[in-house]
Amino acid sequence: MAKVVVIGAGFAGHTAALYLGSRLGKKHEITVISNRDVFGYVPSWVWVGIGHMKPEQTIFKLKPVYDKMHVKFVHAAAKEIHPDEGDQYVLGEEVGSGKEVRLDYDYLVVAPGPLLNFAGTPGLGPENGFTHSICSLPHAIKARDAYLALCERMKKGEQVKIVIGTGHPGATCQGAAFEYIVNIHKDLVKKGLRDKADILWLSNEPAVGDFGVNGVQIKRNGHVMRSEEFLTSVFNDHGIRYQVQSGVTKIEEGKIHWQNYEGEEGTTDFDFSMLIPQFKGQPFKYIGKDGEDISAKMVNPAGFVLVDGKYGLPYPELAQTPDAWPARYQNPTYKNVFAAGIAFAPPGPISKPFTNKNNLLIAPAPPRTGMVSGVIGRVVALNIADLIEKGEMTHSEPMTEMVAACIASMGDSLWDGNAVTIVMHPVVPDRKKFTNEFGRDLFTSHLEMGVSGAWMKFMLHHTFIWKFKALPGWKIIPE
Amino acid sequence: MQPSQEFSKAEKFWMNFKLYQLWRFVVLNLKILAAVYQSKRS
Ligand SMILES: Cc1cc2nc3c(=O)[nH]c(=O)nc-3n(C[C@H](O)[C@H](O)[C@H](O)COP(=O)(O)OP(=O)(O)OC[C@H]3O[C@@H](n4cnc5c(N)ncnc54)[C@H](O)[C@@H]3O)c2cc1C
Repeated sequence: MAKVVVIGAGFAGHTAALYLGSRLGKKHEITVISNRDVFGYVPSWVWVGIGHMKPEQTIFKLKPVYDKMHVKFVHAAAKEIHPDEGDQYVLGEEVGSGKEVRLDYDYLVVAPGPLLNFAGTPGLGPENGFTHSICSLPHAIKARDAYLALCERMKKGEQVKIVIGTGHPGATCQGAAFEYIVNIHKDLVKKGLRDKADILWLSNEPAVGDFGVNGVQIKRNGHVMRSEEFLTSVFNDHGIRYQVQSGVTKIEEGKIHWQNYEGEEGTTDFDFSMLIPQFKGQPFKYIGKDGEDISAKMVNPAGFVLVDGKYGLPYPELAQTPDAWPARYQNPTYKNVFAAGIAFAPPGPISKPFTNKNNLLIAPAPPRTGMVSGVIGRVVALNIADLIEKGEMTHSEPMTEMVAACIASMGDSLWDGNAVTIVMHPVVPDRKKFTNEFGRDLFTSHLEMGVSGAWMKFMLHHTFIWKFKALPGWKIIPE
Repeated sequence: MQPSQEFSKAEKFWMNFKLYQLWRFVVLNLKILAAVYQSKRS
């Protein structure tokens, strides 16, 4: 009987656990260790953050799902990984009791999502800083309360400044911040308060609509339309000001400090701000059999797990080398260790990085969205099942082949809601396969705004929660 | 720095015209499914 341990129960880890449970659960021991006993449907935290969805509608208990899928659940935070042959295990700390738990494994899936590195920008974040975040459920609830309090001030006639975007020169997840800013706009319009707010998009992207993926391009009526034009229209249409090519370096109460591509340093005042922090890998200890630190074999300097990618290529070469992107998410040193979702180390950025004259690197990190994380979770799970049953892997899917859909809603009403729908295929341009200048399939890629996007968003929320609860037919819903 | 690009009246009309949007909803779902199955190597 083989033992498989999955660290983390988010989009990647939970998807992996469902596939592992369904294929191996009855014969082998599958264990998920997660520091939370609920699954969180992260995309809907945007709605929590403006008070349009109750937090409890975005979560459900994991244990009943795992019981059904023959997966053991351990409610603990992993802290150490011991990957050396002979004695391979994960050490964790049980939530509540603080008791140490040891989980031996034959195969390990590392999928604990990002460490939200608020400390990377002095003054950033809701805990020790002055800005808000929607990257965790408690943060989204705190952002909601602050936003609703701000609305009360506006109702009394106060003019306010709202700044949404990225809080670090190397931040990612611009899509979530974009969805939040347009939802705030729409909510203020509905509340009759829009004229009381000056709203600014402040981001590290090279251009509006870049989203850390070098923008999205589609072919419409014979001409190529870029997300830059499209998103610029959205901002202009909504009276949202924007400032890109800017890396936030420090926050003080009501003041954001930034530097731009030209090396200019400036400040922006705010009454309410939601800025996405830099993401890092979870700070696990990686320990060898003699107790030595073996982090260098397992993770890159940012703490993301090294997998089967080609690391260290300069950006111009990486942009022309689709094969540099990992396909199996397997650690090259410890072949029974896999990483899924945000936890794996990408070989480099997708968008063009820029270093300004003060040596500040302004470079959006590549997003590993929910869809991408789910796909990787499935690939990793099926390969582990293959290895256990047949001795060789048969699955692979690099981000240069994956499709990703992002629906940035603007309001949640099915009648007068709206959404920008973005589909990119592939997520990472493959300039060898798609010979246009963008390296993408311009026919399947999609960029559109309309009420159908709001329907799509609503449908995704419910179908994904259905899938993640492993209800009948869950496997036919694509990740 | 901020170009005067905006959506035209016609574009805004189509964004809210429910019958057309139903069609776009179907197209979008088909596109996503086609891309998902095309990209699935496994
Ligand atoms: C507000 C917001 C909106 C978004 N909207 C979209 C969208 O519309 N579409 C889309 O595709 N993507 C979206 N994303 C991105 C998407 O949510 C992420 O890509 C996805 O959650 C990443 O999955 P993951 O499994 O790698 O990490 P996570 O979902 O973060 O899951 C990691 C899990 O590991 C657990 N964990 C952490 N540390 C430990 C530990 N030490 N031990 C055990 N367990 C641990 C965590 O509690 C968590 O359950 C959005 C992100 C945000 C923040």
